[in-house]
Amino acid sequence: MKILGISAHYHDSAAALVVDGVPVCAVQEERLSRRKNDAAFPGRAIDWCLAHGRVEPEELDAVVFYERSMLKFERILTCALRAFPRSWRSFPHAIRNTLGEKVWMRGIISSYLGVPRQKIFFTDHHASHAAAAFLAAPTRCAAILTADGVGEWATLTAGRGERRPDGTTEIALAREIRFPHSLGMLYSTFTAYLGFAVNEDEYKVMGLAAYGRPTMLDEMQKLVRRTPDGAFTLAPEYFEFQTTASRSYSSKFIDLFGPARSPYDPIDLESPEGRRFADCAASVQRVLEDLLVDLARQLRRDTGLSDLCFGGGVALNGVANARVLAESGFERVFVPPAPGDAGCALGAALYADRLYFHQRDRDVPDHPFWGPAVDAEELARAAREDGQPVEELDDPAAIERVADELAAGRIVGWMEGACEFGPRALGHRSILAAPHAREMRDRLNRDIKCREEFRPFAPVVPIESADRYFDLPPGGARLARFMSGVFPVRPEWRSRLAAVTHVDGSARVQVVDREMAPRLHALLDAYGRRTGIPVLLNTSFNVAGEPIVTRALEGYSTFRRAGIDVLAAGSTLVRKPALAPARPGKEDIAWWSESVAGSGAV
Amino acid sequence: MPAVTRGAPLDRLMRPVHRWVWRDRDRRLRKLLTFADVETDGGRDIVRAAEVTSDPLLRRLYLEHAIDELRHGDLFRRRGAALSRERRTPRNVLLDGNPLPGGHGLDDLSIDGEPDHRLLAFLHVAEKAAAGRFAIYRELVDDDPETRAIFEQILRDEVFHMNYTYTQLTRVSPRDYRRHVWHARTKRLWNRYLRVAAAIAGLAGSAMLTVMYFVLLPPFAWLAKRAERREPIGWTPIAPGRADSPRSQY
Repeated sequence: MKILGISAHYHDSAAALVVDGVPVCAVQEERLSRRKNDAAFPGRAIDWCLAHGRVEPEELDAVVFYERSMLKFERILTCALRAFPRSWRSFPHAIRNTLGEKVWMRGIISSYLGVPRQKIFFTDHHASHAAAAFLAAPTRCAAILTADGVGEWATLTAGRGERRPDGTTEIALAREIRFPHSLGMLYSTFTAYLGFAVNEDEYKVMGLAAYGRPTMLDEMQKLVRRTPDGAFTLAPEYFEFQTTASRSYSSKFIDLFGPARSPYDPIDLESPEGRRFADCAASVQRVLEDLLVDLARQLRRDTGLSDLCFGGGVALNGVANARVLAESGFERVFVPPAPGDAGCALGAALYADRLYFHQRDRDVPDHPFWGPAVDAEELARAAREDGQPVEELDDPAAIERVADELAAGRIVGWMEGACEFGPRALGHRSILAAPHAREMRDRLNRDIKCREEFRPFAPVVPIESADRYFDLPPGGARLARFMSGVFPVRPEWRSRLAAVTHVDGSARVQVVDREMAPRLHALLDAYGRRTGIPVLLNTSFNVAGEPIVTRALEGYSTFRRAGIDVLAAGSTLVRKPALAPARPGKEDIAWWSESVAGSGAV
Repeated sequence: MPAVTRGAPLDRLMRPVHRWVWRDRDRRLRKLLTFADVETDGGRDIVRAAEVTSDPLLRRLYLEHAIDELRHGDLFRRRGAALSRERRTPRNVLLDGNPLPGGHGLDDLSIDGEPDHRLLAFLHVAEKAAAGRFAIYRELVDDDPETRAIFEQILRDEVFHMNYTYTQLTRVSPRDYRRHVWHARTKRLWNRYLRVAAAIAGLAGSAMLTVMYFVLLPPFAWLAKRAERREPIGWTPIAPGRADSPRSQY
């Protein structure tokens, strides 16, 4: 069976193609449209998936949308009614926004692909999350927990999944917590309050939390109340996300926590105001962690299972994931590489395959590399046209050369194979650098990523050496496979891994095994032979505000604009000249129009 | 080669409006922050143009242009942030944000698949208009030397952008370059019309929905609130089979 999964309209939209029960490809729309967090209908992603899978639209057996649009509309309308008359400002916007496109998904998909309407299917939003987490994980039977901002009505679900010996599959979500009581919305509200972009900068709150102390837990208790059955509710008087789209926290919230931070003000951690914001972040982070640990413990007790599959946007919180692993009683925690809404495209397709069409269960390859591949020739051609030095080496020589460059303190843009599906750069579209000195972190923040100094960088380490440098609990390596957990750096190594050690001594480490990423593994080995420490700093290959690069030319344009010293696409290397050629001022238009050709000056 | 700009006739006519906008610190702040977003989005679009063009010279020039635009965005953002910090008492504003539905940089131009001559003509017309307007703005912020200095710096870059796009347009399309420029001007006007029309339609739609909200919704609102009070808190069991309706959007 050929099944296309689609997610769209709320966060980063995506498409995924599943053929005979196995994913063939998946890509987020932003990677092709080059608009970060592109939530538009993923036409480019769909076209690429079909072209890559060599499937014509009429050959598709089903197209599955990742949620039930009308049920979502019902929730939006009901919330507007419940908030009457306070919702009068947001009502026209919400209705126009929803009726404009979002509720007509069957017709839109049908007309875009030219497939009959009866081939278009829908899944529950959280069922898609559950399927993405469970069906892609190497486990036969597991508890399932999903948590995000909101789907249709559910914000958090719990249940179990099983692959039976007869090849059938079961995903049984048993209970849910419903909007507006939402861990994702709670965290997003603090994201907005702290002056960061909602649905994008939640990880900044997590990074900032390490600088603060959870001194506001009493205040937090007024916002979040536990219920006798072990769930939680949010106190509605402190929030406005359920009544208006313009602000997610209320005046009462500000009375409790103080004035919100302007997005344009820097966070000065030396000032009382900066410390207050850090303490706010630490407090909401602690509450999120405590709740997740409690919910996971409860689920462990109810199911008696040793594996947990955790999906939804909240599963991107690596600090909370590590605590769930350490404290909930689960022996293994599986978080997919794309736990957010983009991953639902794959989840919806797998769900339909196994549960709507009752296809036999198949193992899903345990890696995140489902996107477009890099074309090294494209890079070589562009670089030569610009007069840049190009080296086309054989593979072992290229890896040795890159290791030399890294050991010499240079920053390398590293592209190979298919790009990652999900928000993390896991070694196919990464910027790599030596992890030893704090100055490297500052240089990356200043010259390339242009981001706040409190945000940490992640290390990548071969699985064979991970325990030596990082304090991984049992099951930690699995969680770190897709960079889904934050773990302590061993104290004796912190000074030598200063660029990747966060202020609290932790790191969001990626553990690489040879099977999943053989070239990155070989590079780490080669770097380890030179420096004695087979650990590299690994950050996503993009600059602020842009999606991670996909094609070689996108990597090349980023390389030209940012302070990256060496660019590698497969075994093709381009190195920036040590001295940039002199060039005249921009008033000399003749030079810029003619002499610049071939000079590589720009 | 086009002359160094002094502002389009329409902008010169609108000078009193521009003066009114720039005189007020809050409006100035919002204007700067809007410019920051527009320049940054435009810069990203031009990066994309550099990535998709097959012309190596254009690739280099586009990259240079994009770096300028991204820097301008940063300059505007920093200045806006500084003004924001200086502002002591937040004031209510008449209109929050731009009422006209804008695009992602470059007026929603789709870069992929756009031929170079069309993009160059579009960029030339857009840069010329921007340079003219910035020349007027520069004069209107005499009381604010830092903002004025930013406009001066950006204006120099805009003149370069205006000139290189024109020079390159004559290179890639030596026979039809004038027609392309006129086509770009017409398209720009059409896009403006669409933005205004969409804004008017949006306002009319909002007005109708607001009337419906107050006329039709109260009884349903009462029912919804009553139902909300009866909702259980905490865990809600999921009925078995709820997810087994593959074709339902409900």
